[in-house]
Amino acid sequence: MGKANIVLTLGALSVLLLGSISTLYITQTQAKTQTLTINNQTYTIDQLFTQITPRSFTDLNANGIALDDLIRLAGVATPEDHQYTIIGADGYQKTVTWDNLQHGLLTRQRQTVFSDLPKAFNVRNVTTIEVKAP
Amino acid sequence: MNHTKTIAGILALGSLWGFAECIIGSWLRDANLPAGTIMTAVFAIGLLTLSKTIFPQRGTQIGMGLVAGTLRLLNPFGGCYICSAIAIMAEGALFELLWTWVSTDLRQLQTLSLQCCLGIITGYIVYVGGYTVTQILTPLLSTAGFDPANLLAFTPQILASGLLPAFIAAATVPTAIALRRLPLTLKDPVYYPVTAATAAASWCLVIANTLILLHP
Repeated sequence: MGKANIVLTLGALSVLLLGSISTLYITQTQAKTQTLTINNQTYTIDQLFTQITPRSFTDLNANGIALDDLIRLAGVATPEDHQYTIIGADGYQKTVTWDNLQHGLLTRQRQTVFSDLPKAFNVRNVTTIEVKAP
Repeated sequence: MNHTKTIAGILALGSLWGFAECIIGSWLRDANLPAGTIMTAVFAIGLLTLSKTIFPQRGTQIGMGLVAGTLRLLNPFGGCYICSAIAIMAEGALFELLWTWVSTDLRQLQTLSLQCCLGIITGYIVYVGGYTVTQILTPLLSTAGFDPANLLAFTPQILASGLLPAFIAAATVPTAIALRRLPLTLKDPVYYPVTAATAAASWCLVIANTLILLHP
């Protein structure tokens, strides 16, 4: 077997192994909760939609509760002084500023939508919003 | 092959790739199929491998990525187009780097098993690499900024997501190499009109699609 054969075979086996181990890891660690934890307080999506009046983004064709209202409901003092990490059930997470939050919605499907950020910031199945020091 | 011919080839294949990302990618998303995986493992890697067999010059795949990524930016529909454009450009560059590192001589890849192995490596590295690059660059281009903790927390998912493209590319790479063996060679008087027409048609169709979607 030539050097090229060995390098390519080992390379292929390595990436398959890495992908398989990662798949096993995420199936073990994926969150299955139906609740949202915001600033260490836990809510259901129905509770949030009862306590906060939904808004609409006509340009994005989205309807939901404003993320800044959500943070105020969770009792965060001086919200403009913090950053916020939005975490999805699959581990996907994005950190945004207070300015961004003021342009964001949480839909009933628990997905974030921002009018001022790329779609990469749309986190699906949101489970947690962490309040971080700047 | 002279430089003019290579540049014409880059424009034609890059435009075809961009066209596939914009139009076929949107159809796949509408059909709830894994568009990103299919686009990378079939169209991107297929066209990039084909280009490598036709144009051995360095920079060809980076050029194709730039052309396709620019075309994707003109079609602001179907998912995150800035992220997609960044990922496409990164995929072209990663493919070029990987194949330069592994082997630039396709004569070494005579057996099907070796071609499959290279397909697996290429599918995985190009998909995972493109995904990672876009997770870094997209936040940097936004007002939110990039937080490395977000990327670290999501790294296992990114690494796992490369598995399906790796399996698909194990078939794509040998197929693209086999296509080159077909007796299809364009002579100069036909080559330039065909490549120019392919590029022009791809751009016109994407721009027309954008205008139709903006003003239905």
